[in-house]
Amino acid sequence: MDANALVASVRHSGEVAIVDLAGQLDGSAERTLNAAWEAAGDAPIVALNFTKATYINSTGIALIVGLLGKARVENKKVRAFGLMDHYKEIFSITRLSDFIEVHGDEAGAIGGLAANA
Amino acid sequence: MTTDDETRTTPEVEVVAAEATPEVVEEIKSARDANWAKLTGALTVGEVPPEARNINVTGRRQTSPMQGFGKMWQKTYRVSLGTEVTPQEVISEWKAKFPTFWPEGNRFYGPLTGIAPGDVALLNLTMPGRLKLSTGVLVLYADEESFTFMTPEGHMFAAFITFSAYEDKNGGTSAQAQVLLRANDPLFEIGLAVGGHRKEDKFWVHTLAALAANFGVTTEVETQVVCVDKKRQWRNARNLRYNSAIRSGIYMMTTPYRAMKRSGR
Repeated sequence: MDANALVASVRHSGEVAIVDLAGQLDGSAERTLNAAWEAAGDAPIVALNFTKATYINSTGIALIVGLLGKARVENKKVRAFGLMDHYKEIFSITRLSDFIEVHGDEAGAIGGLAANA
Repeated sequence: MTTDDETRTTPEVEVVAAEATPEVVEEIKSARDANWAKLTGALTVGEVPPEARNINVTGRRQTSPMQGFGKMWQKTYRVSLGTEVTPQEVISEWKAKFPTFWPEGNRFYGPLTGIAPGDVALLNLTMPGRLKLSTGVLVLYADEESFTFMTPEGHMFAAFITFSAYEDKNGGTSAQAQVLLRANDPLFEIGLAVGGHRKEDKFWVHTLAALAANFGVTTEVETQVVCVDKKRQWRNARNLRYNSAIRSGIYMMTTPYRAMKRSGR
């Protein structure tokens, strides 16, 4: 297995499912990301933790758009935190930030405060 | 090299990796960051040939599938290119000759320097009724193994289109075009339902077959279509105001008037 391959784990805090992402978010991450989405279960809010995400390419961004499509079908909200400044900019260029609340830290993502920090 | 040599050299390599200076790490990071487009506002188009129409790109914003109207689709077109070529060679060739792989009657006017992050290319596409639809794409991302386009407001689709090449499970190289899209407005959504999907599939199958032929390979193009979201986004129905087909049609109809106005000056 590629040492940079994405690893995802899911934990819950109240009604928020937190998906901790570590490694590269690229085309090879599709299965891992989809499995994490399934593991989030019925939680109405899914917070993606990018603190340990080392790199995101355009296929990775497309995978996140795919998750947003699923979230719409399942009436869930998607939040993000721990993004490096560069990727906050990418979320803005790709206009993902119109649909994902971007928070500075986990507390913000759980509380839903200070969105798009 | 003896086994002892190997056991001695391995830790040294690890130490070198572990001691990468912050400068080296920063250099690697900025090289990766350079793969992405940097945008500050609306799209602008650089120098293009005089025959390229730019009536639906300058001043528009780029759109992701989330800004579109119709159902969300993920369409994947894939072709196997065998073992004679590497993924990097495929992408290099694809970027360099991108317009030549398109079906006849469709033009891609990109910068002469090739496909690079932040570039905006104009598209003149042949549509039913002899309509020449004018739109464009933004090169959102490009590296050695992939590149991605994002479409502007008014394009048929609000989409990410990613072209990539990778080592497949047979040890050979496969090339892939993956389109994640929603029709941008209700008219384009109707168009997709009444033959647009078929036309879109034919377009990319032709493109991948032409790419394969460029490498001397004749094989079938595999197509996979998944509906990611069946719901339409009615709040985006007003995207119709930018519809590039309507605007291109009006532009074509008013061409004689503009010519008369020019000759009268």
